Amino acid sequence: MTTTTIDRTDAATPQRRPTPKRPGSGRRATAQVVLYIVLILLALAIVLPLVWMLITSFKTDADAVRNPYTLPSPISLDAYTTLASGQQPIFLWLWNSFLAATIQTVLILVTASMGAYALARLDFAGKKVVFGVIIATLLVPPVVFLIPNYLIVQNLGWLDTVLAITVPGAAGAFGIFFLRQFFVGLPVEIEEAARIDGAGDFRIFFQVVLPLARPALATLAVLSFLNNWNDFLWPVYVLLSPENMTLQPGLSMLQGAYSTHFAIVMAGAVIASVPVLILFGIAQKQIVESVAGAAVKG
Amino acid sequence: MNKPWARRAIGAGIALAIGVALTGCGSSGGGSTSVSGDGEYTGPKVDISFWNGWTGGAAPVLVPKLIEKFNAEHDNIVVKNVPQEWADITSKMPLAIKAGKGPDVAVLHGDDLATYAAQKLLLQSDDIVASLGYTAEDFPKGVFDKGNYKDAQYAVPWSVTPLGLYVNKDVAAKGGVTEIPTDKASYTAALEALKGAGVQGEWVDGYVFTGTFEFQSLVWQFGGELYNEDVTEATFNSEAGVEALTWMTDLVADGYSPANVAQDGNIKGLLAGQTAYNWNGVWQTTNSAFEGLNWEAAPVPQIGTEKAVWSSSTHWVFPANKGQDENKTAAAATFVKWMNDNSAGWAETGELPADNTVRDDPALLEKYPNLKPFMDQLDYAHYETVAPGISEANAEITTALNNALTGKKTPKEALDDGADKVNQILKQNQAKYGE
Amino acid sequence: MSNLITTAAVAPQREGAGGPAPVRANGRPAARRRKTLIAYLFLAPFLILFIAFVAAPAVFGLWMSLTDWSPFRDVQHFVGLQNYIDLFGAAGSDFWRSMGATAIFVVGSVPLLIIVPLLVAILLNQRIRGSATFRTIFFAPYVLGVAVIGLVWGYILDTQSGILNHLLGLIGLPDNLPWTVDVPWAWYSLIGVTVWWTMGLNTIIFLAGLKGINTDLYEAASIDGAGAYRKFVSVTMPGLRPVMLFIFTTTILASANMFGQSYLLTKGGPGNATRTAIMYIADQGLSQNNMAPAAAMSYVLFAFLAIISIINFRIQRERTEEGVS
Repeated sequence: MTTTTIDRTDAATPQRRPTPKRPGSGRRATAQVVLYIVLILLALAIVLPLVWMLITSFKTDADAVRNPYTLPSPISLDAYTTLASGQQPIFLWLWNSFLAATIQTVLILVTASMGAYALARLDFAGKKVVFGVIIATLLVPPVVFLIPNYLIVQNLGWLDTVLAITVPGAAGAFGIFFLRQFFVGLPVEIEEAARIDGAGDFRIFFQVVLPLARPALATLAVLSFLNNWNDFLWPVYVLLSPENMTLQPGLSMLQGAYSTHFAIVMAGAVIASVPVLILFGIAQKQIVESVAGAAVKG
Repeated sequence: MNKPWARRAIGAGIALAIGVALTGCGSSGGGSTSVSGDGEYTGPKVDISFWNGWTGGAAPVLVPKLIEKFNAEHDNIVVKNVPQEWADITSKMPLAIKAGKGPDVAVLHGDDLATYAAQKLLLQSDDIVASLGYTAEDFPKGVFDKGNYKDAQYAVPWSVTPLGLYVNKDVAAKGGVTEIPTDKASYTAALEALKGAGVQGEWVDGYVFTGTFEFQSLVWQFGGELYNEDVTEATFNSEAGVEALTWMTDLVADGYSPANVAQDGNIKGLLAGQTAYNWNGVWQTTNSAFEGLNWEAAPVPQIGTEKAVWSSSTHWVFPANKGQDENKTAAAATFVKWMNDNSAGWAETGELPADNTVRDDPALLEKYPNLKPFMDQLDYAHYETVAPGISEANAEITTALNNALTGKKTPKEALDDGADKVNQILKQNQAKYGE
Repeated sequence: MSNLITTAAVAPQREGAGGPAPVRANGRPAARRRKTLIAYLFLAPFLILFIAFVAAPAVFGLWMSLTDWSPFRDVQHFVGLQNYIDLFGAAGSDFWRSMGATAIFVVGSVPLLIIVPLLVAILLNQRIRGSATFRTIFFAPYVLGVAVIGLVWGYILDTQSGILNHLLGLIGLPDNLPWTVDVPWAWYSLIGVTVWWTMGLNTIIFLAGLKGINTDLYEAASIDGAGAYRKFVSVTMPGLRPVMLFIFTTTILASANMFGQSYLLTKGGPGNATRTAIMYIADQGLSQNNMAPAAAMSYVLFAFLAIISIINFRIQRERTEEGVS
């Protein structure tokens, strides 16, 4: 156990780990095995449905319907070639989704971090009211915003543009709520020290608080990106042209109005999943690193 | 394929027609529409957008081809294809039209037409239709009138899609059934024989696309109606309705069908060789999963006292966008006419072209022999009920069906409860859409 | 490496333990005005968006609920509370049944969405090989959209041709369970799929919270002779309290807003048994042109969520205060 290769987080903060002390290394080993078995079973439960999606996507149309429980025979790229050569510009949608999610994420990070800092650290008139109102909207079911926002976006002339699927969604209360929680928990001492050194609020925010907040920002970035990427109700309403469409509404189109072409549908699901899974794989490391980085600082 | 006698009238009428339609709707008119003598749009070059729900089957390949051909033949019109899910069209198109961002031409299902018309989202197209030379006689009986709302015509038929009986012949043979059943006696006998061979012959579900449309067909077969004449009251809970639904629940009770079939589970079961019969729409004829399967389609068997079958229909409409450009509508009319004239290939998508001259051309059946049983049924097909907001009421029929088939309620209870709901909805609809 | 500043990477636990935002002395009014100005400069970018796309539509929605509003009619009538009266006057109506369905889902899913991730986080917080890999795997489904979830699970859960029933049959269990067709199975499916899909989020938040707990506390507990259970109750749970508030609140909200899973997997069936409030409201407002009643419904749902959240805040705050004293 002590010779275990430790991951990055461990390396950064070894002494912060709860180290369960149990008598007898035999019992510890058994516990360890059970622990692994539980985790591996759980991991399989998570992964297998996705594997099944992947497997099915390599079947031919007829194979998928007639032999739903077998492995593909023959292994076929039909579904993918159909999608790639198809009339629906699925790769353009992929790009649109990526662009929209990125723009919205940046918007959220900038606006929410500044706002959250004010709410967490600055003392000003009306703070309680502003915070209360923002938090209260967290409880409003999103459907309530749909029609009014449609009319607002329409009047702004944003229908069928990337603005419609990025800006309104950036106004949600979640980001500011999330970051405020984080800022409140940061130790005040560092900021106080900077203030004594003569730094103003803006300098403290940009040079002291933001670097400390990297892990929270990274987490919020991932969540915001996913949120936008996976939104499937709003884009349907505000996007009108096929070339401006994003992947989620596009995916429901692929389901086909009439027939059940499972291989193609699953291939579409694979195409929609793989980029976010890869991105998440990268971002996951990023988060871990920034957690470590924030801890090692100084 | 064109109707020469109608052609002359087209050009003269169409320009006037569109002006009337637009001003009749209170949209900004002005300027004169340019249409030549043979109905061709001759005005300045316009881009028109065309919304449709053809996202599956052969349509995603075929529609762009047709449009490409049309665009090539018309150097002053560029049609832009905008396919999306039917459900998405239902929810977004009204708002888009109000915002002036809707399409210049679209295809809608028959049961949506009145809802759109009542909300003034479509151009009144009596004159456009007349100038294109269409009358009710050009289409299967009852289809053209689905586009009629309060004595005005809002739509031109495009396709019809009746239900049929799909048969997996290899599975049927397991029960020694070689003839395709045509009536209650032979159908029951076939199911019984299959049961003896350990096969559940028809998987009945409580969802749209199969169960709902089977039920509606049966109601008509038993001499019932879904709604009363002026669609102010539900009548699907009549004796005929109860008989129809009981017949369906009996399929499960008698062991001819498994319980709890998921949506589309039946067609999947048929394709996978697990069941012999499925009542499904003509659109399945082009499902590529049928390749290599020993199958046949037939008219739905006559279970009740008369022949009847459910059918949907699709129609061309001209949306009344805020500030609709009349040149675009004129170009759209030209497009509609051209599409109907060239709709022979449309059978490729598993829909029957509505235009009689196109559909009755023997060449069509030569190329698509599977469509014959569906065409044969058109004489006694019943199309969807037309009334503003009817889809909300229709959804209750499916709910009732689902309640009965999952054993939550008896057929009569389920239908009576559904009818109560529907009557409320119909009353609300009158308040909502009436005036 | 050894002189690390152990400022919490995930900080929320300090909120409970230490005081929140420092209240600096604010002497003269001029200085205070300046501070307020600076604060609003910080808030401005967010507030502009917030007012335009959250506050304004929320107010508009509220107004809508007091009228017979429809985008397709030229004249709107103010009807006062009529839409609300209609809702409350009709017990057993579709709306209340959909609220009931939402309640079932919340009660069924929230405990699992908290307990399972908490246990998983505790497992992952042990010193094990590949902890990061497991964490990545458990979080992975969360990155997928509900459209993908619906497609994949619809395929797996099909009563007759789904692979789940097939596998159950292979090991001698019933192979005809109506996972998406009949209750209670449909509820098990909806809850199970939701746990499968979103447990990763709460897991990483719990994990971050666990890493933020000061190890000294565990050492001290060990010296006092506390066992694993005792440590969990007296060190882990109090340490997770602030995270718990966040998770509890967001999980309840997420479950109460459930829509996609029902819409895609069970179509709200059997009958309308799994049609959730959001699904019903969306249908009424967007497909059936009943926008004003739909707006009223969403505010009724909002009221319920607000009440639950306030109770939740109160309870958690009391606990936190107890923990401090």
